[in-house]
Amino acid sequence: MISIYKKELWSYFTTFTGYAFLGFFVLITGYFFAAQNLASYSANYNDVLVSTMIMFLILVPVLTMRSFAEESRQKTDQLLLTSPVSINAVVIGKFLAAVTLYLIGILITAIFPLILSKYGNVDTSATVCCFIGYFLMGSCLISVGIYISVLTDNQIVAAAGTFCVLFLLLMMDNIASSAPITRKASLVFAAVIAVAIAGTVYTGTKSLAASGIFALLGAAVIGLCYIIKPELFDGLIINSLGWLSVLSRFENFYLGVFGISDVVYYMTFSGVFLFLTANSIEKRRWS
Amino acid sequence: MIEVSGLTKIYGSHAAVDHINFTVNDGEIVGFLGPNGAGKTTTMNMMTGFISSTEGSVKINGFDILDEPEQAKKQLGYLPDVPPLYGDMRVTEYLDFVCDIKGVPKAKRPEMLKYIMETVKITDHSHRIVKNLSKGYRQRVGLAQAMVGFPKVLILDEPTVGLDPKQIIEMRDVIRALGKRHTVILSSHILGEVSAVCDRIIIINKGKIVADAPAERLTEGTGHTNQLVRVDCTREKAEETIKNIPLIKEYSINEKDGELEISLSGEEDIRAAVSKAFAKADIPVLMLKPAALTLEEIFLKIISGESPEITVGAENKTTAEKTEEQAEKATEEETEK
Repeated sequence: MISIYKKELWSYFTTFTGYAFLGFFVLITGYFFAAQNLASYSANYNDVLVSTMIMFLILVPVLTMRSFAEESRQKTDQLLLTSPVSINAVVIGKFLAAVTLYLIGILITAIFPLILSKYGNVDTSATVCCFIGYFLMGSCLISVGIYISVLTDNQIVAAAGTFCVLFLLLMMDNIASSAPITRKASLVFAAVIAVAIAGTVYTGTKSLAASGIFALLGAAVIGLCYIIKPELFDGLIINSLGWLSVLSRFENFYLGVFGISDVVYYMTFSGVFLFLTANSIEKRRWS
Repeated sequence: MIEVSGLTKIYGSHAAVDHINFTVNDGEIVGFLGPNGAGKTTTMNMMTGFISSTEGSVKINGFDILDEPEQAKKQLGYLPDVPPLYGDMRVTEYLDFVCDIKGVPKAKRPEMLKYIMETVKITDHSHRIVKNLSKGYRQRVGLAQAMVGFPKVLILDEPTVGLDPKQIIEMRDVIRALGKRHTVILSSHILGEVSAVCDRIIIINKGKIVADAPAERLTEGTGHTNQLVRVDCTREKAEETIKNIPLIKEYSINEKDGELEISLSGEEDIRAAVSKAFAKADIPVLMLKPAALTLEEIFLKIISGESPEITVGAENKTTAEKTEEQAEKATEEETEK
C-alpha cells in the first residue's frame, strides 16, 4: 500500500496535476477569503469554506480522473494486479495519496484563518471543527471520483462523469426540497428503491430467486411500515435524501457542532465507495 | 513448477480457453505456440492472476493463484503483451517502483537492478524517460520489470513482437540466459521463434492444447523431408533427375540468378537420395538446406496424424497469416548471417 501511495503522490508532483490542483485550490480560497473576510470585515472563516465548496466540482475530477482510468489505458493495471499487492491496498493507496494532496491544500489555506485571528475574533473551535468537516467531506467526494475513474479507461469520461455525479450530490438538497411530500409519492419512492435493490442483487448473482426474495422482502417491509406507522411516509423522499446528503451533514460542522455520527457518516461514505471501487476491479477480473 | 489443470475461461458462450492441462518443471523453457486468438494471452493472464478462470486451477510452486494469490504472485514475473510501463517515469524510477510493490528489500536493490539492466542491456538508457524510449527498449524495460525480485517463474507474452531482427536475436539470447535461472514460459505465433529457444513446445489452437512435445520432436522429420536445393543446370535436366528419385512426392522449380532453386518434399529423409541423384547426373549441387517449417505445416502434420508420438487433440488446422511467415523467414535469414 505504501509503495502505491508513494508512487501516486510522486506522480501528482511530477505531472502538472498536483501543481494545478494546489494552485487552483489556493487561488479560489484566497479569492473568497479576500471577498468574504477582508473586504467585508468579517472574521467568520467558515463562510469561506462553504463558499469554496463549489470548486470541488472541478478540482476533484482533476485529482481523480487519472487514478484508475490511466492505469487501464496504459495497461499498467496488469502490473499492479499480478504483483503481490492486494486490490484493496492499491485502492486505499491511491485514495490516501489524493487525500494527502487535498490535505496539503487545506494546510496551505489554513494560513488565512491564522491571519484573521491576528486582527479579529476567530472562533477557534468552530473553525477547527469546520475544517474537519471540510476535510471529511472532500475525502468523500474524492472517493466518488476514484470510483468513477475505475469504470472507464478514458480520463475525460472519468472527469465528466465525476463532475456530473458531484453536481448531483451537492445539489441533492435543492432537488429534495422540491420533491413531493405526499404518502403516495413516498410509497412509489420506496417501491423504486426496493426494485433497484432487487435489480442490483440480480446483476450481482444472476439468480432470479435471490432477487425475487429481495423484492418480496422489500414489499413486505414497505407494507408493514405503512400499516404500523403510516406517518413515516410523510415527506419520506425529503427525509431520506436529506439524511443521505453530503452537504446537509456539513451544516453541523459549520455551526461548530462536532458530532460523532457525522464523522461516522462521512467515513462510511468514503468506505462504501472505496469498497465499490475494489469490487468493480475484482468484478472485471471475473467477467 | 507450474501445474495447470482443467483451466477454462468462458466469455459469454464462447470458450476462449477450454480445459487446458499441463505441467512445467523447474528450469524448463516452454514455448506456447498458436495462431492469433488461440487463447495464449488469456491462458497467461489466468496463470498470473490478472483475470480469474471460469474453471480449473493454476498452481505456482504449490500456491494456488486464486486461493493464495500473494504467495503465488511472489513466485511470478510477468511480461504482458503490452509492457506495463508508466510513461512519465525514468527507467530507474520505474524499476524502483516495481521493487517496491514486489517487496524487494532496499539493501538488495542496487546490485539486483544493476544485474538486470545489464542482462537486458538497458544500462545506457537507465536515466531516460520511459515514454521516449523506442519500442524495442520498452520491451526490454518490460522484461526487466518481470525479472525484478528474481522470481522462480517468468511468463512472457510475445516477448519479441514488434522488435527488429537484431533485437529479436538479442532478446532470444536474453531469454536463453534467463532459462538457466528461471522457469520460463513464453508465447509466440511464430514457430521459428519458439523452436530457437524452447526445450518444449505446447501448441494451442481454439483454446485447446493440440500438441505438447519436446521442440526437436515437432521440428524434426519435416526438416529432413522438405529440402531446398540449388543446382547449376538446365530445367529439363533437373526435372529428369528429380523424376528418377522415387522418394520425391512433390517438387517445384524456380529460376534465380541463372541457377535453379528447387524445393523438394518426400515422405521420409530425402537428403541422401537427392544428393546422390544429382551427383550421378553430374549436376553440381550449390546448396542443400532444410525448407523452412511454418506453424501452418506443423498444424497440418499434427492433424493428419503423421507424428503419432505427439499428443494430438482433435482440432482443425488454422492457417497462419502470410505476414507471419514472412517475419519468420526474415528472422531465420538473420540468424544464418
